[in-house]
Amino acid sequence: MADLKISNVKKAYDGKPVLHGVDLSIPDSHFAVIVGPSGCGKSTLLRMIAGLEDITSGEIAIGGVVMNDIEPSDRGCAMVFQNYALYPHMSVRQNIAYPLRLAGVPVAERNVRVEQAAKILNLTDYLDRRPAQLSGGQRQRVAMGRAIVREPDVFLFDEPLSNLDALLRVQMRIEIKKLHKRLNATSIFVTHDQVEAMTLADTLIVMNGGRVEQIGSPTEIYREPASAFVAGFMGAPAMNLLPATVGADGQILLDAPGNPQGLARCALPEGSPVTLGIRPENVVLAETSGAGLPATVDLVEELGGSRVAYCNVAGHEMSVVLPASDDPLEGKPVWLTLPNQDLHLFDRISGRRLEADMTTGDKLAKREVETVA
Amino acid sequence: MTTEALRAPRIATRPLRRISEKSGLDTAAGHVLMVLLSIFCLFPVYWMLASSLRPANAMFETSLVPTSMSLDNYTQAIDAIPIARMLINTLVFSVLSTVFQLLTGIIAAFAFARWKFRFDKLVYTAIALTWLVPFQVVMIPNYLLIAQMGLLDSVAALILPNLAAALAILLLAQAMRGFPREVIEAARMDGARNWRILWEVLVPNLRGTIASLAILIFISSWNEYFWPLLLSRTAENSVIQIGIQMFMTAEGNQWGPLMAASTLASLPVLLIYIVLQRQVVQSFMKSGIR
Ligand SMILES: Nc1ncnc2c1ncn2[C@@H]1O[C@H](COP(=O)(O)OP(=O)(O)OP(=O)(O)O)[C@@H](O)[C@H]1O
Ligand SMILES: [Mg+2]
Repeated sequence: MADLKISNVKKAYDGKPVLHGVDLSIPDSHFAVIVGPSGCGKSTLLRMIAGLEDITSGEIAIGGVVMNDIEPSDRGCAMVFQNYALYPHMSVRQNIAYPLRLAGVPVAERNVRVEQAAKILNLTDYLDRRPAQLSGGQRQRVAMGRAIVREPDVFLFDEPLSNLDALLRVQMRIEIKKLHKRLNATSIFVTHDQVEAMTLADTLIVMNGGRVEQIGSPTEIYREPASAFVAGFMGAPAMNLLPATVGADGQILLDAPGNPQGLARCALPEGSPVTLGIRPENVVLAETSGAGLPATVDLVEELGGSRVAYCNVAGHEMSVVLPASDDPLEGKPVWLTLPNQDLHLFDRISGRRLEADMTTGDKLAKREVETVA
Repeated sequence: MTTEALRAPRIATRPLRRISEKSGLDTAAGHVLMVLLSIFCLFPVYWMLASSLRPANAMFETSLVPTSMSLDNYTQAIDAIPIARMLINTLVFSVLSTVFQLLTGIIAAFAFARWKFRFDKLVYTAIALTWLVPFQVVMIPNYLLIAQMGLLDSVAALILPNLAAALAILLLAQAMRGFPREVIEAARMDGARNWRILWEVLVPNLRGTIASLAILIFISSWNEYFWPLLLSRTAENSVIQIGIQMFMTAEGNQWGPLMAASTLASLPVLLIYIVLQRQVVQSFMKSGIR
């Protein structure tokens, strides 16, 4: 059993706090992915788990054993670095065998295990080359090989695919997923890439500014983002987030100079500042006047299979995903409908999702949202 | 995305080619300059060799190639001073100085590059400052120390103050700081402790730096003159530079034997340089990895 438990872990560099108390619990053999903007402390957290960074306060336990004061090599973790971090002066074989050599594994067994790892990773033909003689993808596989020969309890990946080109990245992503299915070791994977995060994760952890914003399955996080930050961060193109205010009888009014636009109703007190969220693929665009918000199309991006229209709605930008078509839209007036069931509501001050926060009555805000004719 | 990726290299190659066309001229000019500089540097060496072969009566000839040649100067030089003994002394002194300076340098540099300890910056700065202190300032204290230890007129005394040097420490610390941190961390995760990280990961990858440093230290030790001059009492315990100087006397300089001794003194350095230089180039090429 190698579940991972992180309790109120904080990190400060020279008194400057970087992590403000992280709590996490990852069950055995889960694949957890940490995402977040640059500088939010993802690598720091991962390196603390690995033992490469001191823990300022809090506790990290693997398989029930507190690891705070245990050497990196004795934690049962293997790490795959972004820049591969292979030993340049050793052959692929020596690179993969190095942890075994250090652990005092006899030569015969060492060879068997290296060959095995090489076979799993398709490296058999490259065993006698130096890292410099390999492509990026092959180097990445060597780094993985060096991690798997140790048969660790926990795999740590720090953006392992970000130096690869788009195609190879997809391939390696699939290989990592397969490898996880096969080895079933608890894995923690740090990435910037949304698709990687969504496809690899059993558990997705969204971090921001040294805090965990939300933990959940990828679909949970996509469907019910816990904060405006998560809503805007997960999904491409990003969710539209529009400033709005609750008016009389709970009507949500889009903030716009002159004429506030009524959008929906909710059970919030009048005057509450909120952020209204809707994913670009949920907005319905009509070219004939009628129901909906009047808008003009500023720009259309062709994506091949679909396209994204960037519309101006009373001074706010809104993106809309549309099916591919040759219909020229740029500069045209359009009408946008925001279906109620797809609306997300966030507190504009705290950024938190408005749902559980609702205290007015037993019904939740989202269920209360009604169309304003 | 894909169209961008396809377009990018085509745009990139155009200015590149222009640069290489332009640099064709530049390299030709550069080569001419380098040839001239090489002649300028090599001529004195050639003149030394040529003069060492001229018989005594033709010593001041100005012909480029000696009109007559003899090895008289060499036999004279070997008779006058214990040249073999002196060369061995110099070799022992230079090799041991190099080995110890590298050893102490590697270990100290590792500490500075990898650890944080109290007053680490201060100590580092102090070491850097010792490099700026001229030899003349420390020679008297060093001399007195050696005298008290009863080591005057011995090769050991020559080596003693050269066991560690700031240059090696500073250069190696810099090289180690430049080494990718992640590789060291990978080694730590693989189970290597400091000692192994140093010898199995860092040192093999710093061969280029170490080899060039070795050449530097070796040559400067080989050419060391002042310190041996201070310590030596007998020719048997002295180094070759002192031996060469013995041909410069108050009655006049014996140019022939002096040139012969100088030639003999430069041969080992030349040899070692050739051997190590291959190593330097090789390791520079290998370290183009990362
Ligand atoms: N050794 C260090 N000393 C001081 N501050 C540091 C150190 N390492 C990281 N930081 C700071 O800690 C914060 C978090 O860094 P970290 O590397 O964990 O970010 P990250 O989320 O991994 O970002 P990225 O996605 O760019 O890799 C940053 O603000 C960074 O400046
Ligand atoms: Mg990072």
